[in-house]
Amino acid sequence: MKRIEATRVITASLSDEPVVVSLGHPAYDLFAAGDRPLNFYTWGSMGLTTSLALGLALARPDRRIFALDGDGSLLMNLGSLATIGACAPPNLGIIVMDNGQYGTTGGQGTATAGKADLERAARALGIENASTVHDPATLEETLHRARRLPGPWIVIVKVGESVPTMKPPQDCVHIKHRFMAALGTREAGTSGTPLLQ
Amino acid sequence: MNETGRMSGWVAPTWASGICAGLHGSGCREVVYVPDNPLSHILRVLEQKYPDIRATLATREEEAVGIAAGLYLGGARPVLMMQSSGLGNTLNALGSLMVAYQIPAVLLISMRGDAGEWNSAQVPMGRAVVPILHSFGIQHVTIDCPEAAEELVLASAALAFGTRHPAACLLPRRLTAAGGRS
Repeated sequence: MKRIEATRVITASLSDEPVVVSLGHPAYDLFAAGDRPLNFYTWGSMGLTTSLALGLALARPDRRIFALDGDGSLLMNLGSLATIGACAPPNLGIIVMDNGQYGTTGGQGTATAGKADLERAARALGIENASTVHDPATLEETLHRARRLPGPWIVIVKVGESVPTMKPPQDCVHIKHRFMAALGTREAGTSGTPLLQ
Repeated sequence: MNETGRMSGWVAPTWASGICAGLHGSGCREVVYVPDNPLSHILRVLEQKYPDIRATLATREEEAVGIAAGLYLGGARPVLMMQSSGLGNTLNALGSLMVAYQIPAVLLISMRGDAGEWNSAQVPMGRAVVPILHSFGIQHVTIDCPEAAEELVLASAALAFGTRHPAACLLPRRLTAAGGRS
């Protein structure tokens, strides 16, 4: 299963869940498979996808939040899984595109190409609901099942690298405004206020 | 205050009470932190006096920046609390997430490596704190007297959340040493 195929399975399964996506190829594919205002595209801060999603899940217990990460990114911030295990937000789901390489920087191998196992790491760090999938049908079924169970959960999706065809918008502030508006959170200073007489 | 036992008979230091009052008065209900000795006083005041403020422990300061940014996207006014050494762990996240996306937070930074320091390993990062903040365009205040703490935190939060950019409050050793040891 190529990453773009897996991404299409994910976008087809989404309803109104905000998705925080890791920079580079995972973000490019998410944009190509289904751009929507509730996608938060990161353009830097590699490794922080799951942390951003945790913050959102804590702030918005009324919404189910998805993180769409990559193996190289998650390996930069494994401590995040320990924090998520400890906080145990029931409304957080993590999907990791694991292609065993740093796809965006030229395909250099990651530790998951060797002995590292992200599902076992997640369990060891307190996320019991962890699984690994290898094909589109199992991914679809797993997402369908996961969305009815309390989180946090994590699905490691074993994928092959695919060549991205599109890039998301590059204006970070635009991405934020669009996302927050879709989520219904208003920033200070973005609406008029009456003057005191 | 290196052990829990030393907390017995604890009285909240004026600076810690002032900071917490400032945070609460600014509408901040989320604190994400990596611990430090002086920050224990703030955590204790929050726990005792402000149960509506949630403190979330991160494993690393860079991770804390990510959590705080997510909290902001979800409508909260986040506070990041760390030791000055931890600021060094946040740099790419501060730049490529908070500054680039105009995501604000109040940064409460307990200082090491400033006047009164005994540990030479703490000095290089301590010296670098203000130049680093300057290089990101992050303004800071130094809370150098306990009575000014609340006002300075209120002002920093107004700057951060009003202009959608992080703002920092530095807690020097000579302030925090009055209420605990580092």
